[in-house]
Amino acid sequence: MTIRATFLGTLCRPSFVVAIAAVAIFVGPTSAHKAPHTPEQLKQYEDVLMEEVRKGDLLFHGDAATAKQMGVVLSTTGMACAMCHPMASDTHPQSYPKFQVETSKFATLRDMINWCIEKPNQGEKIEIDSEAMKALEAYIAWSNSGSVLVPGKH
Amino acid sequence: MSDELDRIRREMHAVLQQPGVRPDDSLQITRRTFIHRSLLFGAASVGQTFAWWPLLNTIDVAHAAEAPFKFAWISDTHLYEKSLNTRFVDKVVRAVQEVQAMDPPADFLIFGGDLAQLGKIEELELGVDLLKDLTIKKYYIPGEHDWYLDMGKKWGELFGQPNWTFDHKGVRFIGLDTVSRGPDYWTVKKMTPEERMGHMATLDGTVAGAWAGVGRDQLDWMQKILADWDKSKPIVIFSHNPLYEYYPPWNFWVRDWREVNEVLKPYTKVTNIHGHVHQVLYNEIGSMRSIGMLATSWPWPYAPEGVPKLTKPMIRADPGDHFDGVGWETVNVNAEDKVDVEYIMWGRKEVFVQSDPDSSLSQPEKLRPRMADNMWPY
Ligand SMILES: [Fe+2]
Ligand SMILES: [Fe+2]
Repeated sequence: MTIRATFLGTLCRPSFVVAIAAVAIFVGPTSAHKAPHTPEQLKQYEDVLMEEVRKGDLLFHGDAATAKQMGVVLSTTGMACAMCHPMASDTHPQSYPKFQVETSKFATLRDMINWCIEKPNQGEKIEIDSEAMKALEAYIAWSNSGSVLVPGKH
Repeated sequence: MSDELDRIRREMHAVLQQPGVRPDDSLQITRRTFIHRSLLFGAASVGQTFAWWPLLNTIDVAHAAEAPFKFAWISDTHLYEKSLNTRFVDKVVRAVQEVQAMDPPADFLIFGGDLAQLGKIEELELGVDLLKDLTIKKYYIPGEHDWYLDMGKKWGELFGQPNWTFDHKGVRFIGLDTVSRGPDYWTVKKMTPEERMGHMATLDGTVAGAWAGVGRDQLDWMQKILADWDKSKPIVIFSHNPLYEYYPPWNFWVRDWREVNEVLKPYTKVTNIHGHVHQVLYNEIGSMRSIGMLATSWPWPYAPEGVPKLTKPMIRADPGDHFDGVGWETVNVNAEDKVDVEYIMWGRKEVFVQSDPDSSLSQPEKLRPRMADNMWPY
């Protein structure tokens, strides 16, 4: 929906890259659970999440530069996810997994994300464990923080 | 956000819902369902959509008109250039054909804004071209998607003054511009026109802020043009945004709803018909009733909070059928002193929810505003 070519600059901003690399070093599996968590560690965990949320938000809102950088085509109609789901409303991540009427299958949120990409958006469906999928899931879940889990709810 | 909304809503009720104040004591809402003759026309012209029976649901609103008449409403077509998306074009074509096929014909058409998606000259001109096939008189008000690329320049060239008034068979009609007075978020950040439009075209964006408003100058104008109008005679006001406060984060409101109410308070038969929300809505505030209209392009979900208690919600649309959850409306002003709004929703037997599972509101949600659009490299 919005074309933000200028955003590429931010994606490559060194501070993010450094932050993630730093997390990879400090939060490696060998150090897990052996010492009390420090505030710095917690901040780093949070930063990892929020970077995914940020990327997911941009993908969800049709940001062309982010989609290009992540190598995905989520829509070919000019429609973006957020046009039917402002603030990730009506996505109901808390209701998954469930029987999905659209596909007549028991489905996860990721299955439904791919259905929306393929059908209404006429885009190319993405790998179920891809970076773009994780980012979209992060954004949708974060936006719905506070909703109560109700798996199976139609 | 939620606490703030609660506070405002309590204030709105305290200010407007005075004991005994209703838009009209003869008000009644009924739902009539019947098969519209335009179906036959539509079935012949659009091939594949699965259900052909958009039963018409009618809201009957009482007031006194000199003679029966009807008019039609189309809005929120959100046209892209044809090369990108023909889906929205097809739906405008269908709506235009169906309005043209009305018998007896509509006295006029109101186009309620968001003709274009990104305010482009080509999009606006495509809209004019598609609506040309409709030969009745047409009146236009702007939507935010029409305006913020060139600040209304092209829109003005095509359609003239964005606010206007006329009398028709005992009813005073007013068209308002609720979109052009947004706060300037672009100059300081040195945005290009496309960037400015991008923020405006994102319903859940946080950068454009509370752009919907009537403005002091337009309120004064409205007061002036109503000064000679009998307090008990009907007024119908068209606006892109609802003239009350439903959900400010999506500009499902005008920020100066209090002042609007001040101007309209003396008049007892005021009906506001609005677009922008892309959904069935009904509300009463003070002496005014407010009716939300469908888009032809796509339906917005109901906001996570603030849906007026008087609204009977529409069904949740099937995302696999782009003719579902959308459509157009006719408004009848008939001899029995009624104003009827008929929702013509394509591909649906029932426009309104019949039970909880049909409603998106049956799944409570708590949402956070987005943040990525504030992490801007300016
Ligand atoms: Fe719209
Ligand atoms: Fe709008």
